[in-house]
Amino acid sequence: MNDNTFAIPLVHNAVGIMTPFLLAATGGLFTELTGMLNIALEGLMLIGAFFSVVFAAATGSLLMGILLGILATMAVALMFGVISLYLKANIFISGLATNLLASGLTVVLAFQLFGNKGVIRFENIQKLPVLSIPALQKIPVLGDLLIGHNILVYVSWAVLFIAAVVIYRTPFGLRLRGTGMGKDTIASLGLNPTGYQLKAIIISGFTCGLAGAGLTLNLSAFVPNITSGRGWIALVAIYLGNKNPLGILIACFVFGFAESFSNYAQGAMNMPAEIILAFPYIITVAAMIGYSIWRHYRAQA
Amino acid sequence: MGFVMISRRGGSMPIRRKLSTTMVTTFGLTITLGIAFILAIFLMLVLSKEPAQTIFHFFVGPFANKFYFGNMLNAAIPLVFTGLGISVAFKSSVFNLGGEGQVYSGALVTTAVCLAIPNLNGLLGGTMALAAGLGIGALLAGLSGFFRMKWGTDELISSFLISGAIVLIINYLITGPLDDPTNSLLTTPKIGEQYRLFQFFKPSKLDISAFFAIIAAVLMFFLMYYTHWGYEMRMCGLNREFSRYGGINVSFYMVLPMILSGALHGLAGGFAVMGTHHAALKEFTFGMGWNGIAVALIARNNPLGVLPAAILFAYLDAGAKAAMLHSDVTFEIAAVIQSIIFYLVTAQAIYSLFRYRKREAA
Repeated sequence: MNDNTFAIPLVHNAVGIMTPFLLAATGGLFTELTGMLNIALEGLMLIGAFFSVVFAAATGSLLMGILLGILATMAVALMFGVISLYLKANIFISGLATNLLASGLTVVLAFQLFGNKGVIRFENIQKLPVLSIPALQKIPVLGDLLIGHNILVYVSWAVLFIAAVVIYRTPFGLRLRGTGMGKDTIASLGLNPTGYQLKAIIISGFTCGLAGAGLTLNLSAFVPNITSGRGWIALVAIYLGNKNPLGILIACFVFGFAESFSNYAQGAMNMPAEIILAFPYIITVAAMIGYSIWRHYRAQA
Repeated sequence: MGFVMISRRGGSMPIRRKLSTTMVTTFGLTITLGIAFILAIFLMLVLSKEPAQTIFHFFVGPFANKFYFGNMLNAAIPLVFTGLGISVAFKSSVFNLGGEGQVYSGALVTTAVCLAIPNLNGLLGGTMALAAGLGIGALLAGLSGFFRMKWGTDELISSFLISGAIVLIINYLITGPLDDPTNSLLTTPKIGEQYRLFQFFKPSKLDISAFFAIIAAVLMFFLMYYTHWGYEMRMCGLNREFSRYGGINVSFYMVLPMILSGALHGLAGGFAVMGTHHAALKEFTFGMGWNGIAVALIARNNPLGVLPAAILFAYLDAGAKAAMLHSDVTFEIAAVIQSIIFYLVTAQAIYSLFRYRKREAA
């Protein structure tokens, strides 16, 4: 009994925490499959975080905030894509530029609009609705773990499911994967591989916008650089998840759990916050190295 | 594996073509910077209520007096080291994204060594401290290179993640065990007087590490273009498979550039402590690693080009600071302008546009 009271909230929180990772990683999967290393996930998420909360405050509607936030993120993603694909920028560097732009622009705009470079609270925004189904909540363990999260948590699962269907069961998905395997093959079929890459980047803009919205609307506040490395961790989750949706789900849960556990450890074990915050990085890099060792020896065997 | 002289750079390339390539690059870079400055002016027109004053302070502020000018050059010093560190890695096609952590750890270790030997001779102890800072940077980056060589772990992501963890751990050390109890600032105690580098351009903080930065750039240029190691690093950067068939020990050249890159980042942190801050403050090296990437890009990974590129970057920062102090814009405007430069510099199509035109005309 004692174990359950400790473990269940831990996993419950992990499910909530993993949502931005999962959304960003789902979008990143599209770009990854078309053969691009999309390190702009971080910046796109930050753009989404800022604009969704600002628009939600301005329109007084959560839904409008999320939609306009996503639109803004997709616009930045479009710019990033056009520069990378049509102006032939190195996508790695234009991705860094996008991250730099996002961290600068959000603070500049926050200062311009609210005269404040720190945490900006929005009192007039309602909280994200929480799903509560008493009947399902009674299911032991599973009900406690999966019910009672905010609505975006469930949206992220739907997005992942739709992404899996699109990638594996539609002509678009097939061509998308084909682009990653060989651009020339796709071009020889009379299709435009660069177009698929651009679409993949815009899709990643969509999911990162949603991921960012989840971060700020959950707090009803904007904190400078609120994403704090989540986009990078999402990128790692794509690799650890072996570039498939189920793998990504598992990898994101592991990161969510790591963070949830650090939050718990901070309170329970009286460890310094900085050391706790370093945990996700250490766990991630250890997982990455472990995974590559495993792959290395499997390839040899 | 000694420093054997090899043929001159681009030996077979006709001089005229080489010149025209340089000209196109210079011309393209000028256009790029021109566009960036126009966008910067536009940005300030939109954001500022007193745009004329903001624009004036942004562009002229860094040259207003000795203090501002010297501090701008001083801010360029760490960028030279990190820019060199990134260019050696990129030129060899390995990616070091852990610059932030490497600079910070170099700074912390240099400070720690100086504090541990408070009574030693300045030259000897200072050299030891810098060597330690250099060593920790080289170790951190070298680890990522080693994992890549041994098991194929992507060094780009692993170096970033290691750096992310290191920054947090150093934050803890500076605010916790190594905190100076005599004041309320988040900093270690100050290093001994004998370890502080001479500041020769008073009242600014510009110190003699500027000369070390220039020497480092020249040495890196020599290493990359006139030595056996440099040649093989560049060959691996151009085409690793080809180099393997050519008999180059390719895995060695995944680790070596990372070690050099980390060492230069560590030095950036060490000099920042001994020259400017005289202590390790919380997050005081923030941005030096990231900006090093931009500096290396503008310099097209040429070690000598890193010098003006670093000054350009420091100029943008100094301009934004001046505009913030004397007008109504915030400092982060520098990040926006830097990102625009980032985009434009890497947009190859802008350059090929000129090249294409030229060929047509010829």
